[in-house]
Amino acid sequence: MADETLLSDDLLRQLVAVGHVDVLVGIPTLNNANTVVEVVRAAQVGIATYFPRARSLIFNADSGSDDGTPALVRDATTHDTGTVTASRPLRTTQRISTPYHGLPGKGSALRMIFAVADLLSAGAVVALDPDVTSVTPDWIPALVRPVRDGHADIVAPLYPRAAADGPLVTQLVRPLVRAAYGWRLQEPLMGEFGCSPRFATHCLERPAWGSGIPDGVDLWMTGEALANGFKPAQAALGPRRLAHTRKRPGLPDVFQQVMDAMCACLELHSAYWLARGPAEAVPCVGTLPGAIDLGPRPDAAGMALAFTRDVAALHPVLATILSDATLAGVTAAAAAPGPLSYPDDLWAATVFEFLLAYHRAVMTREHVTQTLLPLYLGRTASFLLQYGSSSPSVVYDALESLGQAFEQAKPQAAAQWKKA
Amino acid sequence: MSAGDPLWYKDAVIYQLHVKTFFDSDGDGVGDFKGLTSKLDYLEALGVNTLWLLPTFPSPFRDDGYDIADYYSIHPMYGTMDDFTVFLAAAHQRGLRVVTELVLNHTSDKHPWFQEARSSRDSPRRDWYVWSDTDDRYRGVRIIFLDTETSNWAWDPISKQYYWHRFFSHQPDLNYDNPAVREEMWRVMQFWAGLGVDGFRVDAVPYLVEREGTTCEGMPETHEVIRYLRAQLDAHFPGRMLLAEANQVPELVRPYFGNGDEFHMAFHFPLMTRMFMAIRLEDRGPLADIIRRTPVLPDTCQWAVFLRNHDELTLEMVTPEEREFMYDEYARDPAARLNLGIRRRLAPLLDGDRRRVELMNGLLMSLPGSPIVYYGDEIGMGDNVYLGDRNGVRTPMQWSGGWNGGFSSADPEQLAFAMISNPVYGYQAVNVLAQERTGHSLLNWMRRLIRVRRSTRVFSRGTLTLLDPPNQRVLAYVRTFEKEQVLIVNNLSGTVQAVELDLSSLAGAIPVEMFGQSLFPRIGTQPYLLTLGPHAFYWFRLRRL
Repeated sequence: MADETLLSDDLLRQLVAVGHVDVLVGIPTLNNANTVVEVVRAAQVGIATYFPRARSLIFNADSGSDDGTPALVRDATTHDTGTVTASRPLRTTQRISTPYHGLPGKGSALRMIFAVADLLSAGAVVALDPDVTSVTPDWIPALVRPVRDGHADIVAPLYPRAAADGPLVTQLVRPLVRAAYGWRLQEPLMGEFGCSPRFATHCLERPAWGSGIPDGVDLWMTGEALANGFKPAQAALGPRRLAHTRKRPGLPDVFQQVMDAMCACLELHSAYWLARGPAEAVPCVGTLPGAIDLGPRPDAAGMALAFTRDVAALHPVLATILSDATLAGVTAAAAAPGPLSYPDDLWAATVFEFLLAYHRAVMTREHVTQTLLPLYLGRTASFLLQYGSSSPSVVYDALESLGQAFEQAKPQAAAQWKKA
Repeated sequence: MSAGDPLWYKDAVIYQLHVKTFFDSDGDGVGDFKGLTSKLDYLEALGVNTLWLLPTFPSPFRDDGYDIADYYSIHPMYGTMDDFTVFLAAAHQRGLRVVTELVLNHTSDKHPWFQEARSSRDSPRRDWYVWSDTDDRYRGVRIIFLDTETSNWAWDPISKQYYWHRFFSHQPDLNYDNPAVREEMWRVMQFWAGLGVDGFRVDAVPYLVEREGTTCEGMPETHEVIRYLRAQLDAHFPGRMLLAEANQVPELVRPYFGNGDEFHMAFHFPLMTRMFMAIRLEDRGPLADIIRRTPVLPDTCQWAVFLRNHDELTLEMVTPEEREFMYDEYARDPAARLNLGIRRRLAPLLDGDRRRVELMNGLLMSLPGSPIVYYGDEIGMGDNVYLGDRNGVRTPMQWSGGWNGGFSSADPEQLAFAMISNPVYGYQAVNVLAQERTGHSLLNWMRRLIRVRRSTRVFSRGTLTLLDPPNQRVLAYVRTFEKEQVLIVNNLSGTVQAVELDLSSLAGAIPVEMFGQSLFPRIGTQPYLLTLGPHAFYWFRLRRL
């Protein structure tokens, strides 16, 4: 169960006063003063409106903020703004903000949230991203109800996405998780999620916490859930917008982090995914809005240019990673005149062959990842050029085809993985 | 009896009973004053010091006696006026004060006043009631008995006008704009006070006077009537008490105390509802909230607090979500719901859970106000929601496991209301005789509780300081009166709880648990840790030695 050093005596005293809770909303923070108050309020109003009878706790695990975030969490009320509460909770919504020690990052914070959930026998756990400015109270029931109703152990979010929104998810993580883990989960990088106490305890008991997994904890949790038979569900939330006030890591760093996490998960769960058959649909609760905000248009032409340039420059390296057929396809795509076209099956093959290279460690893993990045840009540019102005349904169909292409590529990749 | 401390009602522990169903001395199936008199030893042993009797006036009994047909006598089925005066003297002899009903707002439509009033539009009594050619006066005024009434006006086919009624249509409202009415009511009060009655529980106070364009509740003219009656009572019968029934939130009840020149006491309805809510929610929030919202009263005034009474557990002053919660928790059987409330007794409401019954009584006896114990709740009697109206909580007192539960020697079919006879709450299982023979019975526990409550005036007259421990399942407060202090800690939940109390302002005091006289460690400046069993409560007298 909970690590004896994970919960301080002071925190334990506060938890004694809280006791068992039906709903635990965890908010991991690090210098989120600009946004965290609205997240807390959304949680408060969500609990009050949809679970007025529930015993509830809003638990903030803070990684040493120096901008007053913990105090803002503690003091946030629904009374000092125009927030309209349709009802008030019958039971007191408790609130704790506590620092945690150890490795900074979301992983450590979630570990503490899981520990608290385990100790308080929480009926359902929700984690909210403190940076999200678009969170609304109805995210709480969307993430809680499938768990409380016994329909799910893990509830992933579902956001309406335009073609250009979140390509790392839509072009890489989503189809790969679908093919490997055999579930059509739209958002494997769960920025927000709900989970059952059983799953929280499962995560808490994994030995992975000390081995670097926390850097990619979102993906790791997804893998743990899917590979260990926890029932998944998806909850249609509204659009996900992040605060622009924070300095975020650049694409190379994010790409590296995601690829490392993805590869680590595939290594960890190889016994499961190598045997897993065709992907199943994940039950979805709620419906996404039909109209979506297209948001800023990325520079597809610039990405295409970088792809063309880097494929030529990296050709010798690519030759050590890709099969002849795939390399030929990539080279042809880069050299072809007119709008860039990086077909689904070619992209699926590319990704799997890179994963095999990563698995075999044909070169440093960082090098493998960096080499994939320009190809990812090329694939993204290709998709945007083709679907950038398309309706949500057309984009959906295109992404569905991409998922199928990954599934078709999987058997061969799995066979090669086993050989390696 | 009315000599002595004029503030006696502040120290009262009141026992509310229905003469009709308390004890039948003559075997006619109906309780009576002789029967009640014969049970005064029981009441004295219970430890209460004030009796509140439901109406015993002549009545057609379409509202169980609240529809009065004669204010100056008692119904023959309850006995004679002599029986009443003998009862009163016997009660006083035992130190028991007696409070009777005063139904000011309305009479029965069978009352001679109304019969005379309706006989002709020119009747001298015509103006004793509120009449109208149309039923659209006072539009928008709420209907109280939603389950039975569709309008506050009823058509009188005899005088061919509508008459006003806030309750049942057979209970026409008296017209307090007519000075003759208030004078008549003062005469009624003189009559009973002259016999020795110690106080009046005044029914349906807010509705005495109507004004167009208002809610017709709590009108300034209503307060004038009350001040007049109070002044008369003080002048002619000092030491007598007026208790208001105003089913409203405490902020709105506060005006009925005036500047100490209207009512001495008033029921605290929301406190009762919030107690039931808090114990089911296992969260002190609703209770702490209403305690904070309760206004300070003039020194001579006092709240009357209760768990259950002869009416439904009112849910008028809660939000829709709270009402839904209360129905779900306490009245899953729709038959238990009446108007905006729940017609059930204490023990069945609490699933017969002894711990919860004890905790609720512990709260009742330790929160500010004079507590009222509803007859039969001291032994955990059940109810019968199928008897109609509120009669299911007015069933005969269960004295023994024998014939008719020892209530009456009449045939069971002859009883005023059928006995509770189910295996769980029936008289064979729940009765006074059995509980008197069992040391740990609820009855004996209640006797101890009342004895401890009355061992100090800190409960009846002390101030209350609410503590705010982080554990929301625990409600803790300090009662202070003069140099005496009592710390009360209640576990509202059904599970064991630990709580840390900030008692630094009480540092140095030694807590002595009041039921067992057990000593606890001296209070220091650090948080004071206590653990409590499920629904447990502690009363600590704080000693400074």
